[in-house]
Amino acid sequence: MAEPVFSSALQTLMEEFSRSGVRELHVRSGDFELYLSSDPAASRVAVGQGGPARPKEPRPPQAVAAENPVQAPVAGNALPADAIIIRAPNLGTFYRAPKPGAANYVEIGSKISVGDEVCLIEVMKLFTAVRADGAGKVHAILAEDGAMVEAGQPLFAVVRE
Amino acid sequence: MAIKRLFIANRGEIALRIVRAAQALNIETVLAVSDPDRDSAAAQLADRTIVIGPASATKSYLDPRLIVHAAKESGCDGLHPGYGFLSERAILPTLCHAHGIAFVGPEPEVIDALGDKLRARAMAGAAGVPLVPGSDCVASAADARREGDRIGYPVLLKASAGGGGRGMVIANNAEEAEAGFHRASAEAVAAFGDGTLFMERFVPEARHVEVQLMGDGRGNVLHFGERDCSVQRRYQKLVEEAPCAAMPDHLRKQLHESAVALAASVNYRNAGTCEFLFDVKRQEFYFIEVNARIQVEHPVSEMISGFDLVQEQIRIAGGAGLSVSQDQVKLTGHAIECRINAEDVARDFLPSPGRITRWQPPQGDGIRLDSHMTQGAMIPPFYDSMVGKLIVHGSDRADAIARLSAALDAFVVEGVPTTIDLHREIVAHPDFIENHIHTRWLEQVLLPERAKRAA
Repeated sequence: MAEPVFSSALQTLMEEFSRSGVRELHVRSGDFELYLSSDPAASRVAVGQGGPARPKEPRPPQAVAAENPVQAPVAGNALPADAIIIRAPNLGTFYRAPKPGAANYVEIGSKISVGDEVCLIEVMKLFTAVRADGAGKVHAILAEDGAMVEAGQPLFAVVRE
Repeated sequence: MAIKRLFIANRGEIALRIVRAAQALNIETVLAVSDPDRDSAAAQLADRTIVIGPASATKSYLDPRLIVHAAKESGCDGLHPGYGFLSERAILPTLCHAHGIAFVGPEPEVIDALGDKLRARAMAGAAGVPLVPGSDCVASAADARREGDRIGYPVLLKASAGGGGRGMVIANNAEEAEAGFHRASAEAVAAFGDGTLFMERFVPEARHVEVQLMGDGRGNVLHFGERDCSVQRRYQKLVEEAPCAAMPDHLRKQLHESAVALAASVNYRNAGTCEFLFDVKRQEFYFIEVNARIQVEHPVSEMISGFDLVQEQIRIAGGAGLSVSQDQVKLTGHAIECRINAEDVARDFLPSPGRITRWQPPQGDGIRLDSHMTQGAMIPPFYDSMVGKLIVHGSDRADAIARLSAALDAFVVEGVPTTIDLHREIVAHPDFIENHIHTRWLEQVLLPERAKRAA
């Protein structure tokens, strides 16, 4: 375990895992076993050193962003296992519409294709469009319009049709 | 207006240091983290962490817009940049001011002025700070001889248009100055199409000394003594100590006065360091530059003064005046700091990120460890390789060395190679113990000796 190459490979694996939207990964090979889960309620603990890189439970000095996906407007409780998660590419303010008063880019139930603009992220008056990296139907909107989102924060869940 | 919620735009040990300082002042903390730093020691202690971007520093810690956006949206009224990253980029305080956030550091105009070598040199000269003796343009071999005689040998002949060591010649006497003129001028023509040269005094065995300053922005400036940072490799400091034991008191007094005069002349606000080159043979010191930030090695000054510089930084940024007067700053004993890096010394100091499998730091009287590491912690490969700073305080230099030696011997780190062994060798070396070192000593003496033993 002390081998730095191995450690950094694990670190990379965990990072890739947390970005991938895959919910569980279980690897067993000889006497090596690794279990990664993005579900905070997972009953099993990770085997080996260090769990998956999970954001710590925020203790905000003031309520700012809807941080927890389960509190966001979601149709239904849990996300389908094969949901594609569209994440914030960087920190910024999340806007669902191209300009104030305009229609939102997408609503729950909207059909989207890869490359479609789904929202804006604003940093210091610089607006960047976020494009869908998966196709399907918008199943859930996981962040609050006008709130700050962090880099990598889930914005939309999309299910394949 | 005293700061109520402080944004920390840095990582590693200094982020942890700033979080603790803010908490001691009952100030809330919001920490910016990159994705791989989510679970850092500072992140665990801060009241809130905000993931500002991915591992790449240019998309996280080096993006002033992301930083200020996050600070503003999280309701912060102050921002501490730490050292490195954006700490000396005027854009950060400029954006902070535009959004009503107090920047823990100097004004952007002062950062810009001091960051420009020529302007900083002119400001130092105007404040009466000694500069390296040098010449204006040198047009002929006869000029070179005359200027060399005036400046004093050895001298450095440099191309005006130069850089990267090309068109640079060292001359030890008048004959070498004449011959050197022809050679350097020809090289400069070949390299830059311009044979114009200038000369300055070359100090072969210089010490690096620097004065810790704190200003209130209204012309009042305190110093917290000097540090000697002569153990360097490729201009990177490895060991820093305070005071500079090789400097006599009358020079020390002049050094402090020079640094304070320069900072006062620009109404310097917050923490800064004025760096000098100390020519031990001639017993003279010359201005190098001002670093407009808190420095890595600030703890040695804290150890000898008993004063918390980071807390003072935060108070001053919140509009408070200096909390002590110069005669209340009492410097006692001797402090030494070793920067511990995760590097493989035998492989040319190759940075060696990875997981710390064992972390057993020394403890005891007069020992301070500034580190964000714990057993099981990961050193990500994206940033610098420093894992901590070991600082000791003793009654005098010999006592500090004895404590440091014992502390280094007790320090156990496994999982990644570190520079702890090298520090043990430095501290045990007769040249270090007798204080006969200079800025090129590590590279010219200790490392070659080490290589010879290994061969």
